[in-house]
Amino acid sequence: MRVEIQINNSASPGASFVSWAPSPCRIRITDPTGAILPIVPIQLRSASAATAGAVRFRSGTAGAFADTLTLQVPANGTSVSFFTAGRFGRPSSSNGDVRIEARAGTTLIGSVPLMVRVRKNANTLSAAERDRFVAAFAKLNNQGTGRFTDFRDMHTNVSSPQAHGAPGFLPWHRAYLLDLERELQAIDPSIALPYWRFDQASPNIFTLDFLGVSDNLGTVHFSPNNPLQFWRTDGVQGINRRPFFSTAQAPPGLRNETNTLGLGTGYAAFRTLEGNPHGTAHTSFGGSISSIGTAARDPLFFLLHCNVDRLWAKWQRRNGRFNPALAASYDTSPANPIGHRLPDTMWPWNGITGGQRPPTAPGGPMAASALVSAPGPQPIVQSSLDYQGSVNAASRLGFDYDDVEFA
Amino acid sequence: MTTKRKAPAKGAKATKRTASRSKNALAGRAAMAVATSPKRTVKQRVAAIAETPLTICESDKDLQAMLNLLRDRNEPIAVRLAALQSLQAASFSVIAFEACRGDYIATLREVVDDPDPELRQRVLGLLAREKDGFAQKKLIDGLEHPERALVPPEKALQLLAYDVHAEAYAVARDVIRNPPNEDSRREALRLLSADATAAPIFEKLLGDKNELAEIRQLSASALQALRPEKLQTQAREILLDASDYDEIKATSLTALTQFGNEESVANDVELRNRVDEMAATASPNVKQSARRFVDRYSK
Repeated sequence: MRVEIQINNSASPGASFVSWAPSPCRIRITDPTGAILPIVPIQLRSASAATAGAVRFRSGTAGAFADTLTLQVPANGTSVSFFTAGRFGRPSSSNGDVRIEARAGTTLIGSVPLMVRVRKNANTLSAAERDRFVAAFAKLNNQGTGRFTDFRDMHTNVSSPQAHGAPGFLPWHRAYLLDLERELQAIDPSIALPYWRFDQASPNIFTLDFLGVSDNLGTVHFSPNNPLQFWRTDGVQGINRRPFFSTAQAPPGLRNETNTLGLGTGYAAFRTLEGNPHGTAHTSFGGSISSIGTAARDPLFFLLHCNVDRLWAKWQRRNGRFNPALAASYDTSPANPIGHRLPDTMWPWNGITGGQRPPTAPGGPMAASALVSAPGPQPIVQSSLDYQGSVNAASRLGFDYDDVEFA
Repeated sequence: MTTKRKAPAKGAKATKRTASRSKNALAGRAAMAVATSPKRTVKQRVAAIAETPLTICESDKDLQAMLNLLRDRNEPIAVRLAALQSLQAASFSVIAFEACRGDYIATLREVVDDPDPELRQRVLGLLAREKDGFAQKKLIDGLEHPERALVPPEKALQLLAYDVHAEAYAVARDVIRNPPNEDSRREALRLLSADATAAPIFEKLLGDKNELAEIRQLSASALQALRPEKLQTQAREILLDASDYDEIKATSLTALTQFGNEESVANDVELRNRVDEMAATASPNVKQSARRFVDRYSK
């Protein structure tokens, strides 16, 4: 007897990625040889090394997850649905390091490899994770000619009002990071964007093998093995970044995570993190990352914003702020400018130029995902809120943070 | 300059927002009072300044006080630098900062020739990233007339690279011909990496075993962008040359692994055999990049 297991309801290996939020799956018997009864009880379990990812199961859209799940599967090939999710605290470190195994009795009748892929603290990545990330990022940049140019061009002085100084700051950057991450995953699907935990010492980030070591001038140096040595933006080689602090420590003056999460239980108060720690993190350096118009020239920018987004995710989880219908989840002042109201489409993915939008819209629609359909090619502000699908499963965006669980 | 104040909104939610803004404004004023008080310690003042970012533009009085801190040469430099950082952080809230931007840029221009070198460097950096013509002229003037330079030549070149154009290229070429120091030469080369006509310079430097490893590495990167087929040829020669150095071999391997022409590399038996040897016997740095190369081209 053999079975087929589909993760995210897809047979494509490109869909075999899960996070903490439940992923819809299905199983069907493809070869019923040996089946005595028309319905076969099949047990699912997670199999992996102790240091690898692990998953859990549930049969429906609600209820607790368990380490194993027994399903009654028809021998005639009809699919049976179930849900799987990463076991919180057990992310994968490489693609396919966990398998879902299906057994009829004690006989293994099928298995599928998958990855519990979540965004991690960049300071604690393994060397292999780090190297895959920088290789993919360098490839996206492709010596200044690659798709990364669009991401650089999305974050300029001209476009800045679309994304800063108003409530849409967090949703816009969440969509921006998601788009970039999906492009990186098209290069290497094992990639998840890591975050720079800027309120903690992160010496492993500022190394020759990762995001580089700055000299006194602010020129960033890389190991000859590091593909980021070929990084190029606006036609010019290299990265300018001059830390005003020792990179063996955290930048001074930053509001730490506890205080940031304590800014307030309503979105209007919480979003003042845009000043500190967000703005303070940017301006803890001289160089490209310290000015809005040039910040996206430095790859560190994306790790900085990944942490800002993680803080938002954590605040959402702590305060139950996923539902856009809840007043405290967002700031819905009628005075909000265009692009910052919940039903507004977001530039540049909406392709709208002129008037209150910038004169160009680089990059085209939002990158698609093999895992989820949200947020769609032209995301609206609202689509950034329910990123785990807590309110509506169809809203799930397909990413999670290592330290923000799905309740 | 007066700042327009928004009319108060209506309703319970709006009342809450107004109350929140009032609370922020009060907190901001308290922080500004500490920041501007000469009776407080520098540490206290710097800490207070860090609390002000988003509130700056809500009050013209607070904005002018912060700008005054920045421009006042009698203030401790730590306080002035903190004021600069606070204004810079506030500028990330673009919509809210729009009313302040004119005064901010004008003040930055005022302090470009400040006695403090760190302040001059940071301010010129901010202006250069805004592609400010005033700052660009000062930087080029300093390169052409070193006695008038506001920052070291290598820093001037680095900042000019934020807005490369013909005038900057000409200055960079002059520096390469007659470099005041190695850092300047390196930054001039980096600036010139945007000039498509500079490819022959980088070809020559990459092929010169007497050049500094850093310069050869920069040249490889520049050539990879300007003339990738040339870099592929030179990288191959470097890898087949037993006498060349490990750092440049590692860079060459990384270039071919990341960006190499798949078909031509895969069919280059001599190169692949050589790299197979390196993957087994070379120094650790080269071995690592050789293994990645082998990994890529054996798939």
